[in-house]
Amino acid sequence: MAARKHVALPMQAGRYSSILVGGISGRTGPHALPLARIKRIMKRNSTAAGEASPRMISGEAPVVFSKACEMLIQELARRGWEAALRGKRRTLLKEDVAAAVARTDVFDFLLSVVEAEARPPPPPAAQ
Amino acid sequence: MPEGHDCNAPNATSSFSGDACISELQEHLLPIANVGRIMKKVLPPNAKISKEAKETMQECASEFIGFITGEAADICHKDDRKSVNGDDICSAMKTLGLDYYGNAMKRYLIRYKEHEERASTSKLNRNTVIDIVDELSISKAGSSGRCPMNHPRG
Repeated sequence: MAARKHVALPMQAGRYSSILVGGISGRTGPHALPLARIKRIMKRNSTAAGEASPRMISGEAPVVFSKACEMLIQELARRGWEAALRGKRRTLLKEDVAAAVARTDVFDFLLSVVEAEARPPPPPAAQ
Repeated sequence: MPEGHDCNAPNATSSFSGDACISELQEHLLPIANVGRIMKKVLPPNAKISKEAKETMQECASEFIGFITGEAADICHKDDRKSVNGDDICSAMKTLGLDYYGNAMKRYLIRYKEHEERASTSKLNRNTVIDIVDELSISKAGSSGRCPMNHPRG
């Protein structure tokens, strides 16, 4: 296991995400995923059932998702890689990600996403 | 393939992270470069990742955020609170069967709040390190290729 040295960087780079993931790139700030984009995605889904308008989102919520999405992506990538190896490949394909989702019960909510990705585009309209 | 600006085109003027060029169609997705980096980190060095796999992963991440946020918003509504906070996200994860994520994020949130508290009260620079790696066992098992998360079936 690599030694974990404290590295002081000129910009605000905490170690709890970006260095573990992407190295000292300085490009992603303290988090591996952009908080503003996460917040935008949250906003699309923050309307409670029976309500008209989306709720406010605290500053810490996107931080939690930045880490949680890292974990999700890592888990799906690892499980997908197992599927690639079963297929005797060294390239992770979208069908491997789909297989990872299908084999993990708690990821049932992702089935529609991977099935939509797998669906071929509709044929062009006949003349 | 969406029309218009392609963040991944060689002549694109976007930044490395892709965050600077936000076409309408990409707004609901996390940047593909970031997603790709996260994936690369847990795969062997000789592994290749297809673009479609990264795109699928982008969609999965957005669906994950949306799914949990929706549940968290309902939790807030029942509690008559206006703002979705980090604890709501953790509770929502557990409600939706993602116990491992809920518990890990609860610990992460505690450390994050402690860090923020220290940073604001002592006016330290923000380079204080939080060793979250030890908090989250997934990172320890990562290099061996094993998946430490065994979600209960059914």
